Amino acid sequence: MTISQADGAAGAAEPGAARHRLEVAHLSKTFGPARVLRDIQLTVAPGELHGMVGQNGCGKSTLVKILTGVYTPDPGGSIVVDGRRLRTPVQPMEQREVGVSVVHQNLGLVDDHAVWENVRLGRYQARGPFRKINTRAERDSVAAVLARLGRTIDVDAPAGTLGAEDRATIAIARAMQDHRPGGGLIIFDESTRALGKTARGRFFELVRSLIDGGASVLLISHQLEEIIEATDRVTVLRDGQVVETGIPTKDTDEAGLTRLMLGRHLVTHSRVNSHAQEDAAASVRGLSAGQVRGLDLTVKRGEIVGLTGLMGSGFEEVAEALGGARRAESGELAVGAATLSLSARRASTEHFVRAGVGYVPERRLDEGLAAGMTMSENMTLPRVRGKGSALRTGSAWQAEEARTMIAKLDIKPPRPDAPVSTLSGGNQQKVVLAKWLAGTPNLLVLREPTQAVDVGARHDIIDAIREAAKDGCGVLIASIDAADLAVLCDRVLVFRHGTVTGELSGELDQDDIIHATFGSPRPEPRDEPKQEEKQEERWAG
Amino acid sequence: MDAARQEQRDAPDVAPPAAPAAKPRLAVDVRHFASRYAVIGVWAIMILIYSLAEPGVFFTRSTFTSIFTGQYALVFMAMALLCTIIVGEFVDLSVPSVFGFAATVWPVLVTNHHWGMVPAAIVAVIAAVACGAVNAVLVVVLGVNTIVVTLGMGTLLTGLALWMSNLNVVVLQPSGFEKIGTFTIGGLYISFFYGIVLALAFAYVLAYTPLGRHMRFVGASREVSRLSGVRVNRIRFGSYVVAGLISGVGAVITVATLGSYNAESSNSYLLPVFAAVFLGTAIIQPGRFNPIGTWIGVYFLYTGILGLEDLGLQQWVSDVFYGGALVVAVTISTLLRRRTT
Repeated sequence: MTISQADGAAGAAEPGAARHRLEVAHLSKTFGPARVLRDIQLTVAPGELHGMVGQNGCGKSTLVKILTGVYTPDPGGSIVVDGRRLRTPVQPMEQREVGVSVVHQNLGLVDDHAVWENVRLGRYQARGPFRKINTRAERDSVAAVLARLGRTIDVDAPAGTLGAEDRATIAIARAMQDHRPGGGLIIFDESTRALGKTARGRFFELVRSLIDGGASVLLISHQLEEIIEATDRVTVLRDGQVVETGIPTKDTDEAGLTRLMLGRHLVTHSRVNSHAQEDAAASVRGLSAGQVRGLDLTVKRGEIVGLTGLMGSGFEEVAEALGGARRAESGELAVGAATLSLSARRASTEHFVRAGVGYVPERRLDEGLAAGMTMSENMTLPRVRGKGSALRTGSAWQAEEARTMIAKLDIKPPRPDAPVSTLSGGNQQKVVLAKWLAGTPNLLVLREPTQAVDVGARHDIIDAIREAAKDGCGVLIASIDAADLAVLCDRVLVFRHGTVTGELSGELDQDDIIHATFGSPRPEPRDEPKQEEKQEERWAG
Repeated sequence: MDAARQEQRDAPDVAPPAAPAAKPRLAVDVRHFASRYAVIGVWAIMILIYSLAEPGVFFTRSTFTSIFTGQYALVFMAMALLCTIIVGEFVDLSVPSVFGFAATVWPVLVTNHHWGMVPAAIVAVIAAVACGAVNAVLVVVLGVNTIVVTLGMGTLLTGLALWMSNLNVVVLQPSGFEKIGTFTIGGLYISFFYGIVLALAFAYVLAYTPLGRHMRFVGASREVSRLSGVRVNRIRFGSYVVAGLISGVGAVITVATLGSYNAESSNSYLLPVFAAVFLGTAIIQPGRFNPIGTWIGVYFLYTGILGLEDLGLQQWVSDVFYGGALVVAVTISTLLRRRTT
């Protein structure tokens, strides 16, 4: 398989010609008021390793769920495999017939069952009057599939006793057993997450051998590094749309993909002067969590500090530990008048809240908001005990907080009694932020504060964060969004393998942040205007 | 192209401000009203049908007295179950058994062991609270599966109650203390009014106090509550203990009113309790467990059964009615939930 082959296949797009293994056109998906996928276009050539990247919430998993029949797409889209148009919702039997299969993130293995049982699950052939499973035939067929993959694994071993690499092999064997030789499409949905470094190398050897046999692979991954190394072409999703599809991987790099994933934001915020004051809002001593070891960090009042790095580099753990969301192995946080242990066995987030720490989590509907409760109830939750008496929550202060925050963040619809589930994603994110801002925190810890929100909401959120800093709150933003960090932060700490490898301060530029994140040298100055031009074109045109 | 697309994308993200015209708003209001009070309407229709079908038998004072004097035990148990259900602990199957255990301990201590009425009553209530605490330790602290723990506890406690009572009905000799249950107001036992007060107090706590707000958030999402500084496990633990307390107090009041208790009857309460609590989600606050809805549910169900029994149908009708009502109620509640989230 070479790139030129893929290019050739992608170039020949005559209708009706079965030149594509997978051809997705005009695919959309709407949940209630939210359109999560819009007009998705995507082609995967036979024998191609196609990568797909995008931030959390960009619609990758929704797309996979449509391709596997979990969700029904909106009418009007089409999914064509080898020239055959699939009915929607995708039927499992038809999906198996055309040879589309998925290897999920957790591989989907039943640990205490044997390898052959795992592989054949859902396909057992029953024989005879008692509908008995023909164990020998099943095991032989599994051995044959594993042989096709060039692996020998004891088919009777329980799946749980095997190493990560063998487990991945079993999952792949299950996915490809129905494929005709030289056909089929396997979708890997974040499945490399479960693999270690060495296992990952072998995993890609295995994937390569599949592709050499004529199969196609759609690889969905957060690891841009492996997308760049392994895939032929790549498609980038952002906010439910295809930003670009079929970019030959050799023409791009991690920084380029990151830029596409996050987008150039149209509303350009000019940087404002730092509001940092002399005294500290919070200071962290000896924080160890996950990969991070012994981190010291001081955030001044009014200072906005960015934490960034590759996904899994440790900056996420720092934010979670300081927000009181997870227990660190060691460390102390001094904030306001309180000193909190970050590793206390009975560490209760309550102490963080009382000390004036606000935490805006990454997944707003799982960690930030109770969807069925109203906007006002969600917003006032952290203070309902402190501001109310034992017998009354008190309605005046709640109405006041809701009114102030709705005005400040321009939350729509401006109805405090609206259930949070009826708001759009951007407005939900504003409510999560409002929940903490209303309590005038000493330290505000935010994770991906503008993820999957629209341009207008981003603008309002950025303004509100700045205003909080101006009022003397120390702000920590853990994000991979270099554009956000560049306009908001006074300084940015870049993490790599759990340690701070760089600190950027002063006039920040998002390209500097991206290059520091990936450790790649900044492109030559003469390249710069050209690149800018290209970007401008894309946005303006 | 992206700029245009961007704008296009942003437009529908902004939720519409409100219903623009009056007409849809009226329709919404009607639907809103209907979903809140449909069950009460059905209740009225049911009474009407029974009254027409059994002229002079159903629509009488004695029927109403019988409906509103008999169900206080169920009200207490339903409120106890509601305590844990509100905070998201879905199935506490041990509620009727905890109730039955306390209802057996009290008369056994008084009659067989010659304790004073009051100390024995206190011990019975403490025993029920302890049962709730044991549930809480197993479920909340140790993280054992709720169904298994409460099913086991329930069966264990019913067994102990049967052993203590020697499989007999245990009788409480009147001594004046039973007045706490048998005192009558307007022809109805005071126990009925305890039920109303309990339901109203519970509804008040949920609607107007910080504790109630925390309870509802814990029920809606433990993680969101934890990250907002709510002491989630303390609230879950407390719910089990308070459920035990309500069961214990309810048991004492019930036995004081009835004058006796049959430990074998505990299990027959299980289904009606669940049916009433789930039916309550279709009343007043659709899609949400709520005390007043539950209270109405208890009496709604009993009205249905009493009417059918008056029509000459036998005892089996209560099983059919409660069982059917549970399935219907859970279905309605699921559909209402789906619509609100």
